[in-house]
Formats: sequence, C-alpha cells, structure tokens
Amino acid sequence: MKYMIMTFGSAEEGVKAMGRDWMLEMVAFMQALDKDLRESGELVDDHGLADGSQAKTVRFENGIPVPTDGPFAESKESLVGYWIVDVDSEERAIEIASRIVAFIKAPIEVRRVMDAPPDF
Amino acid sequence: MQSNIEDLLRELAPQVLGALVRRSGQFDACEDAVQEALLAAARQWPKDGTPDNPRSWLLTVATRRLTDQLRSETARRRREETAAALEPAVPGEASAYDDTLTLLFLCCHPSLSAPSQLALTLRAVGGLTTAEIASAFLVPEATMAQRISRAKERIRSAGATFAMPPASERHDRLRVVLHVLYLVFNEGYTTSSGPELNRADLTTEAIRLARMLHQLVPEEGEAAGLLALMLLTDARRAARSTADGWIVPLDEQRRELWNMDQIQEGVALLTQTLGRVPVGPYQMQAAIAAVHDEAPTAQDTDWPQILALYEVLERIAPSAVVTLNRAVAVAMVKGPLAGLALLGTLDADGRMAHNHRLEAVRAHLLERAGELVAARDSYRKAARMTASIPEQRYLAMKAAHLA
Repeated sequence: MKYMIMTFGSAEEGVKAMGRDWMLEMVAFMQALDKDLRESGELVDDHGLADGSQAKTVRFENGIPVPTDGPFAESKESLVGYWIVDVDSEERAIEIASRIVAFIKAPIEVRRVMDAPPDF
Repeated sequence: MQSNIEDLLRELAPQVLGALVRRSGQFDACEDAVQEALLAAARQWPKDGTPDNPRSWLLTVATRRLTDQLRSETARRRREETAAALEPAVPGEASAYDDTLTLLFLCCHPSLSAPSQLALTLRAVGGLTTAEIASAFLVPEATMAQRISRAKERIRSAGATFAMPPASERHDRLRVVLHVLYLVFNEGYTTSSGPELNRADLTTEAIRLARMLHQLVPEEGEAAGLLALMLLTDARRAARSTADGWIVPLDEQRRELWNMDQIQEGVALLTQTLGRVPVGPYQMQAAIAAVHDEAPTAQDTDWPQILALYEVLERIAPSAVVTLNRAVAVAMVKGPLAGLALLGTLDADGRMAHNHRLEAVRAHLLERAGELVAARDSYRKAARMTASIPEQRYLAMKAAHLA
C-alpha cells in the first residue's frame, strides 16, 4: 500500500528557530531516514520542494486561469516536502511518520495513495 | 555485463546507426532497429562471446530488424522504396566517423527542445539504453521512451535529413551541439547526496562525447575549449562535496583530491588551441578554470589574470552571469565594495530577478565587507530562491553562522 508522508512550513523558519547545530542534525537525520527506507525497500520517491516564496498559484478568476505569486496555502502550512512509501500497513506508514515527527516536532500528514484495484 | 562489451557497444552504436540511416533514410525506424540490435548483443555476447566482426554483426541484426519492421507496415509505397534501397551489410566502411558527426547534428536539431536533444543524443550517439537515460534523469522509463519517440517524429516533420548541415548553418548548428553536451555535463555535475551513481556516469559520458566531437572536428577551437572546460571542472569533483553531501566551495576544497591527469590534459588542450583559432566562450571559461586549477592553494590563485580573462569573456559573450562571475573576481582584486558596486548594476537586469546566485554572491561579498546583518539576510534570501537542496543547506548554514 502506498502512502504519501508530507511535511509543511518553511525550511528557513526551522533554521531560524532552531539554529545551526539543529540544521546539521536535521540533514544527518534525513539522510539516515532516506537510507533506511531505501534499504528496507519501502521508498518509492522523496523530494524537497522549493521554498513557498518561489511557488505560483494559478486560480480560475473571471473565466480564465490567472497565476499569482505565492503558495496555495499559508506559508507555514504549505507543502514543502514528501516521501511516498510502499508499506504493508497504515500502521507502518504512521510509524515512519512518527520517527520524523519525533525529530522535527511539527505535524506531518500521512495519506493513502489511491492505487487500489476495484473490488469486483 | 562486462564493461568492455558495454564500452564496445557504445562505441559502435553511432557508427552502425549512421551506416543504416545512410542507406535507408528513415532515422526513427533505424534508431529503433539499432537499439534492438544493441539489446540483443548485450544479451548474447556475454554468453556466446564477442563476434569477430562486432560492427558487422550489429549492422546485420539491425538491418534484419528494420526490414521486418518495414515489411509489417501497411504503407506499401514506403515498403517498396526502402526495401529496394537496403543492401546486405558491408563491413569496414570509411565513412564511420563522418556518420557520427552527422548523427550528432541530427540529434541536436534546433527544432527539438533541450530535454529532447539530450535524450536523443545520449541514445543515438551515446549508445545508452532508454532505461539508463531514464535512470540518469530520474524519470520513468516509459516517459523517456516517449520523449525519444516524439523527438524522432519531430525531426522527421521538420524535414531534417541524414546529411551534414550546409556550410552556412554549420557554425550555429555546432554551437547547439556544444550546448547540448554542456547540458549533459551539467546534469551530471550537480552535487547530491545519496546513491546518485548515475549522475557521475552522465559527466563521464559528456566528456566521452566531447572528446569524440573534438576528434571529429579538431580544427574547431570551441570543441577543444568545451572538452578542456569539462576536464578542468570535473578534475575537482572529489573535493566538491563532503561524504555527507555538503558543498565545499572552491576556496575551501582540499586540492590534493583534485585529479591532476585531467588538469594536465585540459591545460594541454588549451595551450594547443588558444591563440591559434578564433577565441570563443568555452575556451575562455576553460582558461579561467585552468588558472584556478593551477593554483597550489586558494591563496595562490592569480585573481588579476582571472579578472582579465573575464573581461575578455564579457566582450565576446556578454551575459548577466558573466558579469556576476566577474564581480567575484573584481572583489578579489579590488576589494568587496568594488565587487558589490558591480552587482548593483545587475539589480535592474530582468534576467537576474529570479536568480539565487546574485543573492548568494552578494551575501558572500557583504560578509567579506563586514556587513554581517545584511549578509545574513542575503544568504537567507538566496536559500529561499535556490532549487538545489545541498545549496539551500549550505546557504542556510552560512546565514545561521551569522545569526
């Protein structure tokens, strides 16, 4: 079963709040996590996204698509990175997410990817 | 698969494709047929041994695949025309190298987008499989296969033929080819952490193709310049990042990790080229890289010479990026404030508006000028703007040190 695990906010806020030692530890943590998930065969994909300030949002206004600068959600709630993992159960996806939360101490969303076959 | 079989197949790929296209004129069908022959060889030769005439083997198998393919098509007219034109494989043709150059021009056809040019060049000239190219660019194989397929259709609908470009276009077309090879090199040259072995292979492949091109057109100074630039840049690869994937800037790199053989080769190429042929931007960039690479320590770097070279580069190929790099050299020779003043002239330049490098250089110079608060803000701004994770971390760390 595939799940997407998502982090929100801005890398900069994190560093500003926590300082440079935290940053070093954070990088080491992310690399260790990535390595573990590759070795366990659970990692499908993971990426960091550009800072929210670099995003554009395209809305439908007055009958046409209109792009504006900025992310869709508020900066601190805006998607900033994700993992897609292929795991045996939701419990395992939550376990992986918990490992991340224990470190970054900020909320993480876990959501099933819709790849199930129909039940007929 | 044994690496010597792999190397042999990659070397023969463009020669076989060139020979086949020369006869049948259907680039896309021939390219598919050659791909299949390469895959067949990759499966059979390790078991049965390499044939006595590998090129002939590949050409025979590819020809057979091509005729099978044409036979199964419903367009009768096309079938009759091309089947009549096909002859049995003849080994040892003298035009092998000319064909590779023609192929290179075809794959870098101006009607194609850059990603398509890269993908098609790597497959038809580089002899890489679709899977290898997909892996190198981190896209699914099916996506890459489609990209290559559509590129070939585009070439056909643009009316391109398997022939050297007319003399009047050759200079511009060659510039496109050089740019494509430079892009391949750059793709491989992004610093990254994790199991990114494919990235290093792309750099090696770019150097191999640049070397091939230089041998095909030895009189072209810019082809020599590009190869020299790649060698002199790649020479520093081992020192550019730590084991943990952190970027190490040039002035902090451990120079004992630099590849001296590549540096010597790059410098020798430049010595043979500079001053004998019209100078061009790749030669100039290579010359600047050579000055860096020849300094035993960062402090020994001949910055006045680098500044002089940037001034020439700016005259022959002006761009905002060149001005930016020149600002760094100005700062090293005349002090950070002079460099910052030059950066100020770029602020009004629309091309630089979304470029994180301007902020990163500004931050660095502000730091050197002792303006630490302004430097920190600039580092943070640059960190927000970059699309490279190792670079973002590096810039954020620089800001954190000034907080």
